[in-house]
Order: sequence, then structure tokens, then C-alpha cells
Amino acid sequence: MARLEIKSVSKTFGAARPADGLSLAVEPGEIVAVFGPSGSGKTVLLRMIAGMFEPDDGDILVGGRSVIGAPPERRGIGMAFQNFALFPHMTARDNIASGLRAKGGSDVAGRVAAISRLLKIEHVLGHAPRELSNGQKQRTALARALVGNPDVLLLDDPLRNVDAKLRYEMRLELPNLLRRGAAAVLYVTQDYREAMAIADRIAVLIDGRLAQVATPADIYAQPASVAVARLFGDPTINLAEVTPVAEHGALSAVIAGAKMRLGAGDGAAPGPCWLGVRPEDLAISSVSGEDAIPARILAITPMHEKAVLLLRLSDGTEWLAALPPDAPLGAADDAVFVRFAPEAAMLFDRATGLRIGPSHRLKAA
Amino acid sequence: MSMVQLLQTNAPATPAKPRPRIRLLPYLLSLPALLVCVAILVPFVTAAVYSLQRYRLNLPYLRGFIGAGNYIDFLSDPAFWNTFRISITYTALTVVLELLLGLGIALLLRRPTRFHNAVSIALLLPLMTAPAIAALMWKLMTNPSFGILSYLVSLFGVTDFKWASDPSSALFTVVLVDVWVYTPFIMILLLAGLRSLPRQPFEAAALDGVPASFVFFRITLPMLAPYIITASLFRLLDSIQQFDIIYAMTQGGPGDRLMVFQVQAYLEFFQYTNVGRSAALLMILWLITNILSNIFIKNWLRLRARAHGHA
Amino acid sequence: MEHSSLAGRIFRGAALTLILLFFMFPIVWIFLMSFQTNEQILRIPPRILFEPTLSNYEALISGQLRTAAGNLQISFMRNLFNSVVLSSAAVLLALLLGVPAAYAFARFKFKLGETIAFTLLSFRFAPPLLVLLPLSLYYQELGLNDTYFGIVWVYQLIALPLILWIVRGYFEDISPDIEHAYRLAGHSWREAFTHIAVPLAGPGIAAAGLLSFIFCWNNFVFALILASADKQPVTVGALAFVTASGIQYGQIAAAIVLSVTPTLLLALYAQRYLVEGLSLGAVKG
Repeated sequence: MARLEIKSVSKTFGAARPADGLSLAVEPGEIVAVFGPSGSGKTVLLRMIAGMFEPDDGDILVGGRSVIGAPPERRGIGMAFQNFALFPHMTARDNIASGLRAKGGSDVAGRVAAISRLLKIEHVLGHAPRELSNGQKQRTALARALVGNPDVLLLDDPLRNVDAKLRYEMRLELPNLLRRGAAAVLYVTQDYREAMAIADRIAVLIDGRLAQVATPADIYAQPASVAVARLFGDPTINLAEVTPVAEHGALSAVIAGAKMRLGAGDGAAPGPCWLGVRPEDLAISSVSGEDAIPARILAITPMHEKAVLLLRLSDGTEWLAALPPDAPLGAADDAVFVRFAPEAAMLFDRATGLRIGPSHRLKAA
Repeated sequence: MSMVQLLQTNAPATPAKPRPRIRLLPYLLSLPALLVCVAILVPFVTAAVYSLQRYRLNLPYLRGFIGAGNYIDFLSDPAFWNTFRISITYTALTVVLELLLGLGIALLLRRPTRFHNAVSIALLLPLMTAPAIAALMWKLMTNPSFGILSYLVSLFGVTDFKWASDPSSALFTVVLVDVWVYTPFIMILLLAGLRSLPRQPFEAAALDGVPASFVFFRITLPMLAPYIITASLFRLLDSIQQFDIIYAMTQGGPGDRLMVFQVQAYLEFFQYTNVGRSAALLMILWLITNILSNIFIKNWLRLRARAHGHA
Repeated sequence: MEHSSLAGRIFRGAALTLILLFFMFPIVWIFLMSFQTNEQILRIPPRILFEPTLSNYEALISGQLRTAAGNLQISFMRNLFNSVVLSSAAVLLALLLGVPAAYAFARFKFKLGETIAFTLLSFRFAPPLLVLLPLSLYYQELGLNDTYFGIVWVYQLIALPLILWIVRGYFEDISPDIEHAYRLAGHSWREAFTHIAVPLAGPGIAAAGLLSFIFCWNNFVFALILASADKQPVTVGALAFVTASGIQYGQIAAAIVLSVTPTLLLALYAQRYLVEGLSLGAVKG
């Protein structure tokens, strides 16, 4: 049982700065997803923790003890790699057992058998990696990382290279598997859905800085900045440039000629803003009104669990709406009116990108 | 909890402590290779110094610094210009012949059938024969009294062909041996290059009914160019320094007919014990090869990056 | 290209026949010669069919050469032994020195490494005499002249660049994550090197070793300058033998056959890697 603590860690490679004062703590038994666009520094962070290279600055502690300067083999870390990184000249069994044997543990065979049963790869233990399917490779790599019960478990986008069906299954299985040993788990992913499905908390990494660390529900409902809001949600959040006005202690803003009431902010007018509304918070109707934005449907994409409408607001802005498939959708080129509840509107400062709180948004994802 | 502990746990972040992690490992691992480098560079620098000296092993008391004296002497020395001319002629002949022949054979063997692969492996054997030994083989075959080649040309009415012993045919003979040994080198590199070319341009050309000559000059040759350049430069660099074949065949003779750079330098050193002159001759050769090898390495690195998939 | 006319096929067939004849004939002919007596060799016109004899090989192996002028002591077997010792030792040393260095150059990007790698590469193409002649003077002072160690050391000029550049390519092709995974499983870098990197680069190391052996074996000029008779390999020994034995052509042919057989067999065995080795890792066959 050990806590993983990252303190003000920085790293520079030439002109790039993939870690810029990162601080994060992961409790034993907790799964924290590190999520961010590619090139944001996720992998660099994992590799610094694993000891493949050292940070220029800051400290990394496992169980309260700094691991800076310690070689990778003495950090108590298990890791699963995106490209699996199985030892090609060893069987799956020897791959999994390599760590146990190095540490001279007892009952190697029994522990390998137990983890293999859990991951359903008992029948391929005698195979060489090249004889395994991608799914089996991935499970073998996970077994290898898990079998030694490491204090810290690092997973570098482990589902990246497996097919969609397997990825779905693993999303369901992984949280239980990862919590088994009560390790502090850091899980890197580029897929926000994976992060939300697996993690207790999500650390959003953008350009080497942590933009927000919070539970999946909080991140979705209360993104710290417009950049975070844009990373979560499919289709992505709709944005409009507005300058809200305060009247009778409530905010409102004009969007494409319509005056919309906003629930965000504390009542004072905040200056130029981005207004954000999630596509699923938009309502479409054919009835006009003062509280409705006139728009035209450009295209409709049915997606089974929802339908996505591409709309052009009367000022030319394009927005997306996600509606239940059984809702009356209309047809392309129809004139429609767009509404949203005041609580659904988020405001972000146009200069800093930070959200203007508090949000009263009730509908959590 | 003591004050110190409290301070430690509450410290906001470890202050920027310097981490002078000098990684010794790579240096340690390459130390032996560095030693070999030194073992090359020391004699190299020594040679450069010798080339500026009057230095004869048999007249040690005359030894002294004469600046560019050895080099200046070469300018008016017909023996030097003979060496220069023979070396260039030998290089040009061998590289051009080997390139044409090697390219031709590679094109003939292009399709990877079992027979073609067997032929290409058989052709490796001359290349794997020590060049000095290859020269001896040809010496046996061109012996005037029993050599099979002498016999064969006599069937065509050429009765007194003396091969390497006659000044008029000596160059031809050693070039022939060089071609025999090294054409397979060009062939095998170009064959690997040809077989690695993408197929689409050729399939598209075939579909469009493009004439074969156009395909060859406008598609095959340009795509093969990096391989051709690398293989030719490899040969150019070896050929201009050829020693083994010529030394084993005639030791530079008859007369000074085959006195190429390295053979001349060898004789200057061991026969005339003129270290300074020998070193100057080799420095000139080094200058030529160094220019060529810089071009070569650039090309070679590009090919290598391609072969290892990190362009 | 796939379907050619009848004339085209005849042309290709004829061309290939001529090529095979030109490149194979010398080897076949010398091989046949080595089983002939001098009388058979000197017969005109030469005959393809003859009564083969092993006397040439017997003479070489026993070291007793019977000539018209009497018995001649020859030490060609000694040359053969020298070739084996010098080439094997040189390759072993080069592997010992070169494989760790190749690993360092592949895994760590450091300036000194690149400098060494390129210095060795560029001297691969420098005139060997430029280094050898001054070196022979140094060797005389150091007492390294005409020692096995001295010759093995200069053979590093041939073997080391080859091993360095080929093996480096193989190390670069191994994903560093595989080694990282092994480290995290609780192994030191040395264990990762010997249990992961070296086995995975195994084919490349073997190929580079075999090729270096062939090139050391075939080398002529190094030993010509640095070795006297009792340390000379076959390449130099064969030339000396030609001078000494005069007109014993059958024995010369047999000596040639013995000199080239080991490398030709190794080349056939390693042919899959020859392209890569000959191009110092720039072209994969």
C-alpha cells in the first residue's frame, strides 16, 4: 500500500516542455486517468515515474519516499505499454513470470496461474508473443504488470491497439482488475470515454500542465476551462462568442439575435466570454419564440443511441445538437428554433479560457 | 512531530535541487571503441607529420622538416603523374564496367524465382574470394605455357597474348580480375534495391502500355538512384586504393605500368625506404578518398535510415 | 516484364549462361587443377577428363614438397592455422569491444558516440597503408611487430566498423520499451542487455561476426606489412608459396582451394545477411 505523489515535476526536451510543474497524488487503490490530446506530455510523465528518464525539477514519491535517482527496477512499479512490449523470445508464461523470478518470489507458477485465470489467458501461456492475437498480447502485458502486486501501476494507453469489441469488454473488466492489488494506478488514455469509464479521477493534461483534476462527473459538468470542456463530449461542446449583460441579478446574452437567459456566473456581468452548451442540452422545435435561436438544419446523422444534427444559426455559426433518436427531428433544410435551459449554459472568460463559476448545471452526465 | 519533520511534510515542493546526473554508462561502453579510434588517429597524424619531412630510413641523419617539399616535388615528377593517371584510369574502368555489368545482371535476376536466387548466391563466391587469392587464380589461368585462357585465345588465332606480363595488356588483365571479384558486389546491392522498389508505379505503367525503355529510364533508374550511387561510391573508394590484386599479380609492373597509389607508396616505403615521400603520396590519396567518402556517407545514411524504418 | 517474347527469353537465357560461365569458371577450373599432376596440367590442349590425384593436398598437409631439385619444406598448413587463429581472435575481440559500444550508440544519443562511430566509418574508406606504415614503425618500438596480438589489433580496423554499424542497426530496431519492461520487472540494465538486447539482436551479431571473419580472412595488406613468415595468414602465404615453389602448379591450385574454401562455405551459410553486411547495414536483403 503506497501513495504515489508527484510534486512540481518539470521536464524540458530542447524546445518542448512536456512537463511544466506537474503535481498530482494518487492514493492506494485509486485509479487516476491521465487524459489529454496527443503530445500533451502523458507518456513523458509515466516514463519519469518509471525511471526511464529523470525530471529536471521536482520530486516523485512512492510511499512517501523519493524515487528520484533510483533505477527503474527498484521503484516498485508495474507498467503496461501501449505497444505491449512483450519479450519476443519468451513464452507468455515466462513473460509474466519474469518479474517474480527476478525478485526470487515463491510459488511463481501458482501466482502466474492465478493472474492468467483472472485474465483468461491460461490456454495460451505456452505460446510465443508472435502467436498471440492482439487481445491476448494485451492481456499478457497486463498480467505481467499486475502479477508482482506493484505499489504503483502505470498503464500507457493499454487499449489503444486492440479492436473495438475487446476495448469495450476491457473497459468493463479493468477497474476491478486494477483495484485488486490496491496499487496506486495511473492510467494514460487519449479516449475521454475510457477515462470516464475506468477512473476514479481524471487528470487533464494540456501542454505539460494539469488543467484540471477531478471526478469524471465533475469534469464533464464543471470543466475548469474551455479547453477541458472541448476535450470531453462527443459531439464536442458548442461555443459562441458573447458578452453577457446583467439584469435583475441574472445574466443573459444575445446569440444570433435571440436573447438567452444564462444560469452561470454570480450575477455580475463578466465581460467578453465564450458561451458553451453541450449538444445534448439543446432542444429543437418548430415553434418560434423570444427565447429561441432561429436556425436551419444542415444535416442529420443518425447514430443509434442518438441523432446528431448539424445546425446553422441565423448568424452563420454552426452548432451540433444530439437528440434522442425517437425525438421529432425534422429534415435537412428545415427551419427550426433552438433552446437551452439557463443552467445548461457555461461561461468561459474569453481572455483566460477559465470557466466563470459557480455552475448550477443539474443534469450531470 | 518534530519541527523538522513538519517542515519537510509541509514543504510545498522539493526546491530545485541540481541533478548532475552524468551518465557514465555510454562512455564506459564505448571506451574500447575509442581506444581503437586513437590507435587509428595516432598513426594517421604521424603520417601527416612524416609527409612534411625529409625522412629516409636508410639515411636517418638527413631527417628534417621540409614543409610541402615532398608535395612540391611531385608536381614535376613524371612518376607521380604516372601513378595518378594509372590510378584514375583503373578506377574509372573498373567502376564503369562493374556498374554496367552489375546493373545488367541485377535486372536479369530481378524476379525472385528459385533459379534466379540460386544464380545470385553463386555469383557471391567471387566476391567472397580474397582479392589477392583471386589474382593468383587468374595468374594460373593466364600462364603463357599452360593457362587455360592463353589456350582459349590461341584458338582464336591470338597466339602470343601475354596478359599481365605485357605492358599493353597488363591493365586490361587486372581490370578483368577486379571486374570478376567486385561486379557481384554491385549486382547484389542493386538487386536488393530493385526488389525493394514499390510495385505500383510499374503496374500503373504496364496498365497504360508505357514502352519498356521509358519505364527503365524514367521509373526504374531514378528510383534505383540512391542504391546505384551508394554502390558506385563504395567501389570508387575501394578501387582508387586497390592494392591486393595489383600487388599479387605484378607488384606494379611490368615496369611502372600498374603503379597505382598504394603500390607506389608501399614500394617507396619498403624498397626505397623513403618514408616522407610515401606518406605524402598516401596523404594525397587520403584527400581524394576523404572527399568521396563524405559524399558517400551522406548518401549511405539516407539509405540506412530507410532500411531501418526511421527516415 | 513478366511475359516476354521468345527472342527475349533466348537472349536472357544466353546472357545468364555467359555470366555464370564467366564468374564460376575460374573457381571450377582451379578446383579441377588442384586434383591434377603437373604433367596433366601442362598438357596441351587441356582436358576436362583426367585421373584425379590427391598428391597435391598430401604434399601441402605433410609439408614436404617434392620437386625436381629435391625436397622442399613448406609451411602452408602453418599459414592456414595462422588465418584461423588471427581471424577468430580478431572477430572475438571485435565482438567483445563492438557489441557494447554498438548498444551505447543505439540507445544513448551522445556526441562522443557519434564521433567514434563516424571516425571508424570514415577510416574504413581511408587508404589502409596510411595508417599501417606509421603503425609498423610504432610496432617496432613497442615490440608488437610480428606478434599475433599486434595483427589481431589492426584487424579491428576491418572488423570493428562492420560490427559497430550492423549491430547498432539491429539494436535500434528493438523497441526500447521491451528493455524498459524488463527493467521494471526487476532487472538491472546489465541483465536487460544480456537477456533482452543481445538475444534479440542475435541474428545481426552473428551475421556481423561471420562477415568480419570473412573480411579478416581475406585481408592481405595488413599481414603483408606486419607479419613475417611464421605469423602470416593464407593470403600472404599463398603469394610467398607461389614465389617459393615455382612451377608446382598443382600444389598452388590446392593451396588456393584450401585458402578460399572456409570463406566460401561461410558465405554460403550466411548469404541471407551478406547484402546487409556488405553495405554496412544500409541495405536490407
